[in-house]
Amino acid sequence: MTLNGMLQILVYFGVILLITKPLGAYMAKVFEGEKTLLGRVLRPFELLIYKLCGIHEDEDMRWSTYAVAMLLFSVVGMVLTYALLRTQGMFNMFGWNPQAFGGKDMPPDVAMNTAASFATNTNWQNYVPEMTVSYFSNMVSLAIHNWMSAATGIAIAVALIRGFSRRSAKGIGNFWVDTVRATLYVLLPLAFIGGIVFIAGGVPQNFLPYQIVTTIEGAKQTIAQGPVASQEIIKMLGTNGGGFFNANSAHPFENPSNFINLLQIIAIFCIPAGLTYTFGKMVGNTRQGWAIFSAMSAMFLCGAIACNVAEQTGNPFVAQAKVMTEQTATQPGGNMEGKETRFGIGASTLFATVTTDASCGAVNGMHDSFTPLGGLVPLFNILTGEVIFGGVGAGLYGMLMFAVIGVFIAGLMVGRTPEYIGKKIEKFEVQMSMLAVLVLAASILGFTALSTNTTYPPGATAQTFDDKHAADEAKLPTLASWNHVNGSTPSNYEGATTNNTNNGGAHGFTEIFYLYASSTGNNGSAFAGITGNTPHYNVTGMFAMLIGRFLMIIPLLAIAGSLAAKKRVPESSGTFATDSGTFVVLLIGVVILINVLTFFPALALGPIVEHFKMVLMKPPI
Amino acid sequence: MQDILYIAMGLLFFAVAVAYVHGCEKLKGSTPDE
Repeated sequence: MTLNGMLQILVYFGVILLITKPLGAYMAKVFEGEKTLLGRVLRPFELLIYKLCGIHEDEDMRWSTYAVAMLLFSVVGMVLTYALLRTQGMFNMFGWNPQAFGGKDMPPDVAMNTAASFATNTNWQNYVPEMTVSYFSNMVSLAIHNWMSAATGIAIAVALIRGFSRRSAKGIGNFWVDTVRATLYVLLPLAFIGGIVFIAGGVPQNFLPYQIVTTIEGAKQTIAQGPVASQEIIKMLGTNGGGFFNANSAHPFENPSNFINLLQIIAIFCIPAGLTYTFGKMVGNTRQGWAIFSAMSAMFLCGAIACNVAEQTGNPFVAQAKVMTEQTATQPGGNMEGKETRFGIGASTLFATVTTDASCGAVNGMHDSFTPLGGLVPLFNILTGEVIFGGVGAGLYGMLMFAVIGVFIAGLMVGRTPEYIGKKIEKFEVQMSMLAVLVLAASILGFTALSTNTTYPPGATAQTFDDKHAADEAKLPTLASWNHVNGSTPSNYEGATTNNTNNGGAHGFTEIFYLYASSTGNNGSAFAGITGNTPHYNVTGMFAMLIGRFLMIIPLLAIAGSLAAKKRVPESSGTFATDSGTFVVLLIGVVILINVLTFFPALALGPIVEHFKMVLMKPPI
Repeated sequence: MQDILYIAMGLLFFAVAVAYVHGCEKLKGSTPDE
């Protein structure tokens, strides 16, 4: 590992550590309804929203009502997004659509995949944004979900915290109030300041048509632009990750400099890290929050270092080809394939680790081009359920789920009824936690198995048809269209779903595995190297995203409701201290053990076997 | 026609999710605390 790489990790972590307490304390005030400095300005708007929407601020919801409100909010947003994407050609006024993109650019399957993707905070993109989506669609139907899905995640985390902090209560808060407060008091101020800084740093914010320029070589090049900064900041703050451009944060307009790159990864972690302190504050013991923060930090640092070391070590095949892989004063060494030269190995591996620890999914380098172990780190981060700081809200509620399982296991070992934050953890809480764990595993492994074993017509070999062979194309069975690449010229029928990968063997398997891990984990980063814009991948990906989001949240809200109704058990000499180092180690152990037990066979088939083939200098297939 | 099919798929999932909420609630009802 280089000094540069180590310093980047340490400086970044130091900044996150500094932000955690003040931001966390502020969010605790916001969600406990206390007065804040921003309240003077924002409270009238908050009250106006309640009045316009008929929200009763003091109404407390049972967990099931809270869950149904969240589902209703999401389904309405998802269907509206679908409708707007399919009709985007109608909104051409005021410079909203200078490239005249229409509904035909968004076929039904990819429009539904996109709608589910943004409603679930995943932001998986099976389309090329700058060639498909109008400014109107970007700002109204997509970016709005960056706000709403993030606010929903924060609301769910706060509801779960209330489960621990309340005693003998029927309700866990009000979903609408929590969502409005998360948007107005947390996301809006941070996004406003961050957006201005991004614009000052060179991120475009305009409604101009794309510019056609002549390059130095004399070729014509189209330069895409638009309202990028406003989407970019919430993409990071809300751990959404959907890019304005296909290259995402590797594009110089989305990520113009190393300074903006640093701000982007700070924006990803700041709210999830702050929420750990919010948790401690709201349950009345900030050490509980720091314990969660410590577990997350240890796993983050291990992942960041491992990814950096793997990429800096490089690929022996490259060294064999007489390419220098040692770092010198003039070149970075290691594995630079798929990385921006502006960022190098240090900033690329740190970004990859942060974006997959959180459920962000923005990328500034292509994970498909990482070495097998370098690529294993982002994949493993996603498979943990993204609890290493995680998505806004999602990381905390995911980690609290593992905490419940952890104290249950500890209780089994010492023969005591487990307790966490003074609440007895009983059969129902463990059932719900395991349900959430199993739903994620079933989705990831089930869809991966399906897509590594499905063959549509024309069969094992893909076929393409140009205009001259349209008659032959028409003879294909209807089922063939399920793996037809949308908008392909010539018309491309992939047949077997393994044909959609760019690579065969272990790496091809990882491309499919990563797709469903990223979708179910609501991460949205692409390992890349897979042609996902076919009805098969759009539909299975859509269900993976919906399952990963909602079928995990519902059991956790059930836990919140169950815990809120319980009395607080006074601490005794036999109480397992959950603000201790022992608990931190236990929590890390539970997260790693559950994920290794669940996913090791699949990881062995993918990056692990690929690594051994690489170090033994065997051909990849 | 395809639009209706895909919207129906999305709505079907949310109908299942509401049933899932109900299922969890029933499970809670049948699991008394100690």
